[in-house]
Amino acid sequence: MATYRGSPSAFATPASTTLFRRLTWEGTVPLEIRVDSKELPANSDRGLETYYIQAPRVSYLPLIVPELKRFLLDVVFDEAAARIMKEEDWWFESEEGSLLKWHWPLGLIYDTHTISQSVRPTSSSLSQAPSPLRLILHLASPPTEKLLLAPSAEACKQAFMGQMKEADFLRWGSTKRMTGLRKAEQDGLWEGIKEHNFDEYWRVASKITPTTTPLRSQSPPPMGAMHTRPPSADPQGATPDRDGAYNVRSVPVRIYLPEGPVLQDLVPPLLENGSVHTLQQFLSTHLPQLFPPSASEPPFHDLGYALVQGVVTPPETEMAWLGACMTGADGWVNVCIGVLRDGGQR
Amino acid sequence: MVPSSWRADDADTSIQHAFNALETYKRRDPSKVIVRFKAVGNAPIMKQNDYTITASHRFQAVIMFLRKELRWKAGDPLFTYVNLAFAPAPDDTVSNLSADKLIMYMYLQSFATGQRLIVNYSTTAAWG
Repeated sequence: MATYRGSPSAFATPASTTLFRRLTWEGTVPLEIRVDSKELPANSDRGLETYYIQAPRVSYLPLIVPELKRFLLDVVFDEAAARIMKEEDWWFESEEGSLLKWHWPLGLIYDTHTISQSVRPTSSSLSQAPSPLRLILHLASPPTEKLLLAPSAEACKQAFMGQMKEADFLRWGSTKRMTGLRKAEQDGLWEGIKEHNFDEYWRVASKITPTTTPLRSQSPPPMGAMHTRPPSADPQGATPDRDGAYNVRSVPVRIYLPEGPVLQDLVPPLLENGSVHTLQQFLSTHLPQLFPPSASEPPFHDLGYALVQGVVTPPETEMAWLGACMTGADGWVNVCIGVLRDGGQR
Repeated sequence: MVPSSWRADDADTSIQHAFNALETYKRRDPSKVIVRFKAVGNAPIMKQNDYTITASHRFQAVIMFLRKELRWKAGDPLFTYVNLAFAPAPDDTVSNLSADKLIMYMYLQSFATGQRLIVNYSTTAAWG
């Protein structure tokens, strides 16, 4: 886990936008996946049933299943076991026994695990080196009711598209940008994730994600210009203001609390007084008991920290910037809240 | 120089405050949201328009309720959408979704009387 220092008005040359989008995209999480020893088929090569993978944050469990299956068939199971194995029955659990959702990005699974560790008595502080998230793979009896979703890449894709549309709706008040994409473009988003291909994903995603072009006073280009202009001839500066990060109605943000609820509300990029909406203001509005609005109010200092894409995020970070640069591939900014263990000193 | 025992004490107090805060945020939102079901295509209509549902319920609970009311058999396809626009994740809560709904009100510049969530349902994929 690393911290970064953004300059306060990091709004933001297109080059830095691309940089942060790429950093977010290239982020990976270490996973250690062990087959539940009680479910290991007879004649399996014991001692080898653990698989290590450095998986993209933007990927999903169903997308790493093929690789995992190949490993198990090649190395661990014998032929008889391989023949009767049904990957539709597979499901994942954390070492602590929580079910892992098929439709959560791996980065989110990792970060929610990190913050739930922050409220466990044995945990040490944040500064330690990243350790693999230990997962248990079960081969049978999936708790279908609780998993909510079929364990297939196709169901995961549908859930992903749903999240993209919901994010689109929050940003622009309609899903026109998403539904305006051609089928091949929509598929390209998912293919980009599947192949972990930054260019393939962002070629399409840049049409729906807000830009970080600074606010300009000139009037927006005529209606329809966006659709007639060939995308390749699109210099960054000519992007219409109405696609700007400050012009969204709401940044798609969810707050994840340790072992707790997920909170979601409207997150306008600018506050009513015209000032930019910062992470500090956002947190002190929604979680005032953890992030007091001022140092003169209890609890007088922050009791928690915020992780976005695994990065401890400075309080002055602008919500609009997060929405344009640190958003997940599904369009959502996931803010995971951990508890500071050492009295407010990080 | 603060004695180290004080500091440890202070840290413990902070953590306790943090845990107490998390407990309050864990408490379920008892408020109610009105859900209006609207059939799309040839899906059967509901007996009444509006139903009151606890805001902290997951969207999955709304889907289950709808299936039960329609006497839908397990395995029969039923697609659910919010605001004629998107299919929410089943673990979204109703209150979170009505935040989306509020933005729709802002968009239409109409005046909402209370929070109301429009759920469209269809026997075939509609806005998939």
